[in-house]
Amino acid sequence: MANSVLDPLSRRYRFVGSSLATVVYIFLLAPVVVTIPMAFGPTNALEFPPSTYSLDLFRILFTSDSWLLPLYTSLKVAIFSTCAALFVGLPSAYWIARYEFLGKLLISGVLISPLVIPAIVSGLGIYLYFAYIRIGGTTLSLVLGHVMVTLPYVIVMIIAGVQKLDRNLEFGAELMGANPIRMFFTVVIPELVPSLISAAFFAFLLSFDEVIISWFLTGSDTVTLPVKMYSALEWEVSPVIAAVSALLTALSLLACIVTIGLRKSSGEEVS
Amino acid sequence: MHGRNASNGEAIALRGISKAFGSVTVLKDTELTVNKSEFLTLLGPSGSGKTTLLNLISGAIAPSSGEILLAGRDITRMPPRERGIGMVFQNYALMPHMTVFENVAYPLRARREPSEAIRRKVLDALDRVGLNGFDDRKPRQLSGGQQQRVGIARCIVYSPAIIMMDEPLGALDKNLREQMQTEIKRLHHELGTTIIYVTHDQEEALNMSDRICLMKNGEIAQLGTPDELYFRPNSRFVAEFIGESNLLPGKSIAANSVAIDEAEAVIAPSSERGLGSDVLVMVRPEKMHICAPDADPPAGHNVLRGVVEAISFIGGMTRITVKTAHGVSVTAKIISGPACTRPELGSAAKLSWSPTESVVLNG
Amino acid sequence: MNRSIDLKVQSLFMSPAALVAAGIILPPLCYVLITSFQGDTGPLSAYKLIVESSLFRQTLATTLGVASISSVLSLILGYIVALHLARQHPNRRTVLMVLILLPFWTSILVKCFAFTIILGRHGIINNLLSWASGFDVQLPLVLNRVGLFVGMTNFLVPLVVLPVLASLLAIDSTLYRAASVMGAKPARMFWTVTVPLSVPGVVAGLLSVFVMSLGAFVIPALLGGPQDQMLSNLVDFYNRQVLDWPKASAISVILLALASIFIVPMALWRRRKI
Ligand SMILES: Nc1ncnc2c1ncn2[C@@H]1O[C@H](COP(=O)(O)OP(=O)(O)OP(=O)(O)O)[C@@H](O)[C@H]1O
Ligand SMILES: [Mg+2]
Repeated sequence: MANSVLDPLSRRYRFVGSSLATVVYIFLLAPVVVTIPMAFGPTNALEFPPSTYSLDLFRILFTSDSWLLPLYTSLKVAIFSTCAALFVGLPSAYWIARYEFLGKLLISGVLISPLVIPAIVSGLGIYLYFAYIRIGGTTLSLVLGHVMVTLPYVIVMIIAGVQKLDRNLEFGAELMGANPIRMFFTVVIPELVPSLISAAFFAFLLSFDEVIISWFLTGSDTVTLPVKMYSALEWEVSPVIAAVSALLTALSLLACIVTIGLRKSSGEEVS
Repeated sequence: MHGRNASNGEAIALRGISKAFGSVTVLKDTELTVNKSEFLTLLGPSGSGKTTLLNLISGAIAPSSGEILLAGRDITRMPPRERGIGMVFQNYALMPHMTVFENVAYPLRARREPSEAIRRKVLDALDRVGLNGFDDRKPRQLSGGQQQRVGIARCIVYSPAIIMMDEPLGALDKNLREQMQTEIKRLHHELGTTIIYVTHDQEEALNMSDRICLMKNGEIAQLGTPDELYFRPNSRFVAEFIGESNLLPGKSIAANSVAIDEAEAVIAPSSERGLGSDVLVMVRPEKMHICAPDADPPAGHNVLRGVVEAISFIGGMTRITVKTAHGVSVTAKIISGPACTRPELGSAAKLSWSPTESVVLNG
Repeated sequence: MNRSIDLKVQSLFMSPAALVAAGIILPPLCYVLITSFQGDTGPLSAYKLIVESSLFRQTLATTLGVASISSVLSLILGYIVALHLARQHPNRRTVLMVLILLPFWTSILVKCFAFTIILGRHGIINNLLSWASGFDVQLPLVLNRVGLFVGMTNFLVPLVVLPVLASLLAIDSTLYRAASVMGAKPARMFWTVTVPLSVPGVVAGLLSVFVMSLGAFVIPALLGGPQDQMLSNLVDFYNRQVLDWPKASAISVILLALASIFIVPMALWRRRKI
């Protein structure tokens, strides 16, 4: 095997490399990990490590309207915008991946653009636009704004999924007499399930964590959890934020595990 | 279908079909007619346009020019699903999320047939390809050969007018391939469907086809029965692509004779080539006779003399290469016998063949 | 393939996306552009006032400086991690990838909150230092440049790791064997094989990270001090405090133009790779 004869020199390099990498891993993970014990700390002080442990912060989070309503708004917006992004993204991503057509570059460029346009620009623009068409501050405006942000990711992920499919499967189905719609539902969608699940997870999480666009779009009764958290961090750092953070981290961990699990299971099917 | 249309036994006809991708023409102005119930094989080297031709017929790509007639009807602009053509793919292209039964039922469901009829037809099709009792399995639980049988069952179940197969046995090993060849031939015989088959295995083509369409660089090099292609090739390319051949360069010196090596006049079938033009005389190695330099070859044979240059024993046949005085290597293939019956390496030998067994080709 | 596309089916598949593109994605950009020309004293007045203001100039300089330095920092850290991941056995790599993906998926607010805890005056770092030194250490680590760089780098590293790792994994491993058979020492192999062949990933990562950091908003607001505000924060300031939308829009247009200088090569680079 290639790695059986390591000369001392390269072993030393490896050791240095691994040590440096470990430091970076710690740096990356520290902010994720720190919030967990804090979430179980006391309600009157932010300290690490907490002097006492309890579930009080979660109790406050789940009983006070000032946190519960944003949580509820965020869930609602995330669910609706994820569904909408999938509904829009699935057929268009399939078509973009499979066919050449007039204006393809233009429309795919526009759809992908929110990925690279600074969020503050989109946020300000959508604020001005929605104020003009008088839907600013509504849940609908949040859902639409979040569709704009999540759609590019959904499209990119589904295009990657479609490119891995065997084209003959789709063509064979059409040759056997299936019309394009029937073919899409009986061949493409079942084959795309893993990509769809990870796209949905990603879109949900993205919407649930979205700050900047929401910062421009929330009205007084449609404050999302991240916006609430952002203002709380800006003005008075309340210990409840630790509980919210732990909740968000748990959600990220779940999404992360699902993604890796899906990638692994689909990878195993290939080999 | 019932002989009442004007096409008169024509299953499919390509009229002046060509295909260009951008500025590259991959199929040149092609005329091709496939008869009803015919087994036609498209044979040719990689990149010669076989798949392109199939894709044009199935509708996977649109032709740059020309028209395609299916049983006399113009289908050039018709979407694939309305053409009523079946296709078997090299990589099977079975739906991995469906059972064997659902895979075979797919075309019938697309046609909204009643479920009772679907069940009956699917089981019948699976029976025909020898997959009784496999209906509940998923494709990945089957071997390659079994998967391709499902691919075939999925085609025959809806009785398409034409079934196209693009290297259907390409992914199988040799023994299985021969067994499947026999089965496909049997199915063709039983069902009488028109089959257009793509392969680049010439033995497969010779074994299975009614006619072979040999392609080269996006053109038909020769279209004919296996016999015609083997014994009457029309060009050097065909002679070399199918089977082994000796190609002896010479000059046409009379209506029916060719001078090889400017020394020996050889009688060859008459050709219309002008006197003095360069030609090739093609003789199949198994039609070459070899005998000792002092023996007499059969009467009327052409004769070349030379020295045995190589002998290779390849089982049932032995290949003997003789180099003539003018440096042309000629190979004879004879039925193997014990070593003592073979000429010795380096010894002189006489090669001979009957003029009727040779073909004159353009040089 | 260029089979004739059924236009009816195409409109069925593409119309929701076309609607979103024309109804949600494009109008905001148009509104920003139009509003930016609606200054009080003529179409270009907002731009003129902005470009002349020292606040804008200073913020622009901060933005470019912070974006460049944090991009380079994250490239260095990201490269170390990508190199380490690329050398692992695939199974182990999948496990280690969690260490990159989890921060990648974690809300930026969670990270900012955590860094105020870690870097604060009575935060974890200062507590550790006090405990180790015996003095009461209160280093200012947050709400200043230091906090901003820590937060930015932490946020950007996963974005560098993914493209760099992809290009490292694409290097044919026989190259390393060939180089070592020819007598190359590890350091030489690194500079002659690894580094040149990972350039595509590095360029892709660096460009995307730089564009991302140009538009940073949350991290400067929560971890930076008043001197460390970037263009996005200035847009928010004009929009929320000053209520001067033409100026807010003009800054947005300038920011977008600035980002486009890097977005365009990024898009071309990506297309070339495909
Ligand atoms: N979509 C395409 N765009 C451009 N060129 C193409 C395309 N499809 C095929 N070609 C070219 O057309 C030529 C014929 O290809 P085709 O697939 O028909 O060959 P083939 O005879 O089936 O070869 P093989 O035996 O390798 O399958 C090739 O040179 C190929 O490169
Ligand atoms: Mg082919």
